Amino acid sequence: MIEPSLALYGDAYARVDGHIQELLDTTGVRYGLLVDRKGFVLSHKEALWAPRPPALDSVATLVASNAAATAALANMLGERTFSEQIHQGENGTLYVESVGDSALLTLIFDVSVPLGKVKVYAKKTVAQLSAILEELKDIPPVQFTEDFSHGASALLDDLLG
Amino acid sequence: MSTINFAAREINCKIVYYGPGMSGKTTNLKQVFSKVPGHLRGEMVSLATEDERTLFFDFLPLDLGSVQGFKTRFHLYTVPGQVFYNASRKLILRGVDGIVFVADSAPNRLRANAESMRNLRENLAEHGIDVREVPIVLQVNKRDLPDALPTTMIRAVIDPRGELQMFEAMSDKGVGVFETLKTVSRLVLERLSKNK
Repeated sequence: MIEPSLALYGDAYARVDGHIQELLDTTGVRYGLLVDRKGFVLSHKEALWAPRPPALDSVATLVASNAAATAALANMLGERTFSEQIHQGENGTLYVESVGDSALLTLIFDVSVPLGKVKVYAKKTVAQLSAILEELKDIPPVQFTEDFSHGASALLDDLLG
Repeated sequence: MSTINFAAREINCKIVYYGPGMSGKTTNLKQVFSKVPGHLRGEMVSLATEDERTLFFDFLPLDLGSVQGFKTRFHLYTVPGQVFYNASRKLILRGVDGIVFVADSAPNRLRANAESMRNLRENLAEHGIDVREVPIVLQVNKRDLPDALPTTMIRAVIDPRGELQMFEAMSDKGVGVFETLKTVSRLVLERLSKNK
């Protein structure tokens, strides 16, 4: 079934935010994002001391495509998926872990942060986040009316002429 | 890049430009990127080879604004058109909400158009998507070629039943680019309000 991914913010996402912030505080990670498998940012947090993050839309898209590509690789190797990916550079690390089947927790941190520590705490956060995402599945989908369609069309006219 | 408002609600739609190699998918995105004001679009990401052939995808986020309290945005993607990149092409179709099929008007690309359309159907089927379920718009590109085939002939090959909306385009000059995007966006939004 194809449908536009609809991210409902509010209470559930306030809790997601809280868990990501907590992870950032305990580990010293710079940026923490929850990205869905289609490449949309569901939630993000950055450490107060960290410099401005790179374009998060681009990060999310690349992380999701990367995960999709490695999942295809995993299938070829007889795995269902690779749940965890670590990309290590000279100055920093990108750590991605699956949260359930639909999202990815993405953490970006520099060399001063030990990877082992991040892994330990991230696992805990992943469990909390997947519980929240699980709850969200039961929320009834939002109903859109004709007005919505008209309003959106008007905006389209503005944007595209 | 707009900041994310956690109190707000957000709708994201994914539009994929499909079609044979060199038909002008990336050019479409470049045109949109260059003409849409900066505050409404994000950065364009291109994963391309040195000679600018798309290797994995191009990506461009577009912000429509808020509709009834929902922040509405489109993510535009292109696929690599070359036949041997099917594995990555399939990945990009994941979760697609609308498709623009960019066909090439050159006589020697007629067969490539047909093959690409067949490939699209196969890949959608593998994702469990019925072609009739997803909004698809045809764009017949490169109309300025001196030996361009008549659109009826191209259409007969990729859309024999004439079910899809079609636009003629010269994407390098920006002709037909926005009409196509607008139509596919509208179809996606209409589908949304029908609660499909």
